Amino acid sequence: MNQSKAERIGKTPAAARVRAAEIVREYGPFAGIGAIHGVSHDGKRVWAATGSKLLAFDPESGRIARTLDRSGDAGTAFDGTHLYQIAEARIDKIDPATGDIVASIPAPGHGADSGMAWAEGSLWVGQYRERKIHQIDPETGAVLRTIESNRFVTGVTWVDGELWHGTWEGDASDIRRINPESGTVLERLEMPPGVGVSGMESDGAALFYCGGGPSGKVRAVRRPSGE
Amino acid sequence: MDSLIAAAARALVTGDPLGALKRVALREDPPALALRGIAMAQLGEHARARDLLRRAARGFGAHEERARARCVVAEAEVALAMRDLRGSPRTLAVAALTLEARADRANALHARLIGARRLLLLGHVDEAATALSSLDTQGAPPSLLAVAELAAAEVALRLLNTAVARAAFARAREAAEHARVPSLLAEVAEARAALDRPAARSIQAGQEKLLRLDEVEALHASGALVIDGCRRGLRVGSNWLPLARRPLLFALARALAEAWPGDVDRNLLITRAFSTRHLDETHRARLRVEIGRLRAIAAPLARIEASARGFALRPLGNHAVVVLLPPIEGDQASLLALLADGMAWSTSALALALGDSQRTVQRALVELEAEGRVRSIGLARSQRWLSPPLTGFTTNLLLPAALALA
Repeated sequence: MNQSKAERIGKTPAAARVRAAEIVREYGPFAGIGAIHGVSHDGKRVWAATGSKLLAFDPESGRIARTLDRSGDAGTAFDGTHLYQIAEARIDKIDPATGDIVASIPAPGHGADSGMAWAEGSLWVGQYRERKIHQIDPETGAVLRTIESNRFVTGVTWVDGELWHGTWEGDASDIRRINPESGTVLERLEMPPGVGVSGMESDGAALFYCGGGPSGKVRAVRRPSGE
Repeated sequence: MDSLIAAAARALVTGDPLGALKRVALREDPPALALRGIAMAQLGEHARARDLLRRAARGFGAHEERARARCVVAEAEVALAMRDLRGSPRTLAVAALTLEARADRANALHARLIGARRLLLLGHVDEAATALSSLDTQGAPPSLLAVAELAAAEVALRLLNTAVARAAFARAREAAEHARVPSLLAEVAEARAALDRPAARSIQAGQEKLLRLDEVEALHASGALVIDGCRRGLRVGSNWLPLARRPLLFALARALAEAWPGDVDRNLLITRAFSTRHLDETHRARLRVEIGRLRAIAAPLARIEASARGFALRPLGNHAVVVLLPPIEGDQASLLALLADGMAWSTSALALALGDSQRTVQRALVELEAEGRVRSIGLARSQRWLSPPLTGFTTNLLLPAALALA
């Protein structure tokens, strides 16, 4: 790839649009749950990885619909049938109906992994302090390519052909759309100070569900409707 | 935060430091170093823990000030557990301000508590009391509340305020039960036992009696003139005339008080005060001078009247005279009684107060230190002696989960 260095490290060009994230709704903290590490959406329910448990709640009522005894320390993704969950240094493929682990692959960051999304037959895995997003083969875990960001990468999600990811460094956190080819930042939604994004997933429509890390909350953030 | 860091933090919270280490043992990034440091601290490897926490603090970037401040706080707590008090209180205060500015109130409180406990260990009881009274414990985690109450109880005990100490112990126990930390509960119970142990002996008109701390306090409140052989001085209520630097005058006062309401023969006073058996006229002259000095110092509380054969103590008002002594006899008991105020004493001040040579006192201190009944800070000329804290300091109260976050 023949990009300029600025593009390669994901430097924000002047054209990137910046605005405040609009938080539509907050869920949790849920009883007995410490932190939210990963978030996904199966078309109906929001899934959240909370350390020792995976839980699914109904975004309308906010009530917990399902709880799986599966550990989850970072990103969660859904491919239409199975859940993928980062636990320690591996990615478990989980049958949401039974909670069974049907397969496991090594995580590309060897445990330094953060967010995860499923799109176009690949898994996209954020590597937190390395500021990277890896595209990997969901069968083998092989890294197909790597996109670099200039911020610590948390959640990753695809929606309408757009690649979005969360960042969280110290007190500053945002949700940004990047060019999946170059890593160039196209758009940024800034979270309020002290409010972080630990994992995220689009609902396929107008919302992002964002994990709030140790706050134990999941927040719904409005996705900007085009330029 | 990444997956193994989250998993390691989860293991730490559940009290599994080995499980946490297993996940991040080979990683050198700052969050991993911090978690390794905390795991090591929980395993009692304090020196290693400090080193790791320092490296973690250095490794966090300028935009990760909160994570860095948390490392500083954790390192300060490890240092406290090691009884290493050389660190700068400023660094800790800056970390507390950083955490407060970022609305991390629990960890800010944690930092301030470490600062106050450090002052207690250094023998700055009044400063510790001030620091503790300015803490905002509203909505704080119960484990931190328990630590705050324990520190408050320790201050109250040092200042001989048993009712306040008792109340603080009760709140500490409640908080510790709430926090469900067994080591904290054990610590509260252990510290509270200080209230029930004999703290002193009293001699009044020839009658000897063992006193608990609250009985000592009641004695002070009774209006009696107390010749305090534990802290070396005269007291009526809150009126305190220290004689720690005037051992000879204290010996005279004690001799007069033990004979009260009777008088004491001049020769006996000379024997007691000057430690000599060969009396001559110069001793009598010296006695007159010293009695004159004691009379001047004691004037706010008592008169010293000359009698036909010697002198007699006459407290102002119609109050009793009571001599207070360490619960057991001996140099060691006297040393421990002096150190019970929680202050830092130099060897020379202790020797002066007890009227012994520095050599004798040093020997006794070294023996007591070997038994863990006194401790010292500083070296050579700046060495100071203190009694060990009544309340221990557990080290399992570090900030495990919080530290993992940038």
